[in-house]
Amino acid sequence: MVDRIDDFERELTDQLRPRSAPAGFADRVMARTPAARAPHRVWLSLWRPVSWAAIAALVAVTVLGGVEFTRRQRIAGQHARDQVVLALRIAGLTLRDVQQKINQDDSRQDNSNTTQ
Amino acid sequence: MDESPQQFRAIVERHQGRVYSIAFRILGDSGAAEEVAQDVFLELHRALCRIETEDHAAAWLRRVACHRATDALRRRAARADTIAEEYKDGMGLRPAVREVIPLLNRVEQLLLTLPPAQRSVMLLRYQEDLEPEDIAIELDMPLATVRSHLQRALKLLREKAQRTLKEYSRG
Repeated sequence: MVDRIDDFERELTDQLRPRSAPAGFADRVMARTPAARAPHRVWLSLWRPVSWAAIAALVAVTVLGGVEFTRRQRIAGQHARDQVVLALRIAGLTLRDVQQKINQDDSRQDNSNTTQ
Repeated sequence: MDESPQQFRAIVERHQGRVYSIAFRILGDSGAAEEVAQDVFLELHRALCRIETEDHAAAWLRRVACHRATDALRRRAARADTIAEEYKDGMGLRPAVREVIPLLNRVEQLLLTLPPAQRSVMLLRYQEDLEPEDIAIELDMPLATVRSHLQRALKLLREKAQRTLKEYSRG
């Protein structure tokens, strides 16, 4: 069926001959090729140093910000450690006082037992 | 192949009608067809180092044009209205396609009522005059599928052509 050419298929072949592309089609394709768009690179080359400067500034701000953040974190950590040490020291002193009082009470009780 | 602008322009001028016709007859829209055809040539420009001969370029263009136009058709169907609507009213054409009907000949109008895969196969057979074996290679499709698409499409087109002829003679 497909291999036999009849009038209908002849009409198909006749009416499906390639059409002409719209006028200026090749020009429009050529204008979109990378070579034709090369003049844009001039603007790119002007824009590039500006973009590099912006990127460098962004990196510098990020790095400095990071350094400052780390410094503040370290100070805050130091402060917290000092507070913990102070609290431990106070607790140690309190415990020593309590221990001394217990010892005094014990020795007083021993003396009273001896005299009896 | 030579990648110089002059050589590329010569290729565009030699094959522009063929590529534009495939896109136009699959999409049924001159604006979208030009957009697809331009994209196909720009894709060829990027692939030029892999193209060995003029025949290779022609086959490459036919294949990519069919695929890109079918992709565009699917995107359009998904975006606006379902592809099923394309086969609904009267001759089976969407309203958007009806607007360009005066620009289309009778066979082109009938072709737009076929499913996209059948359109591609029919175009390669009757516009590009390729044998089913060559169509199978170009569209990377089993030969049996190509033959089946051709048979079904021809049957559908004959029926629609007879129907429109009767409607026309009835007045």
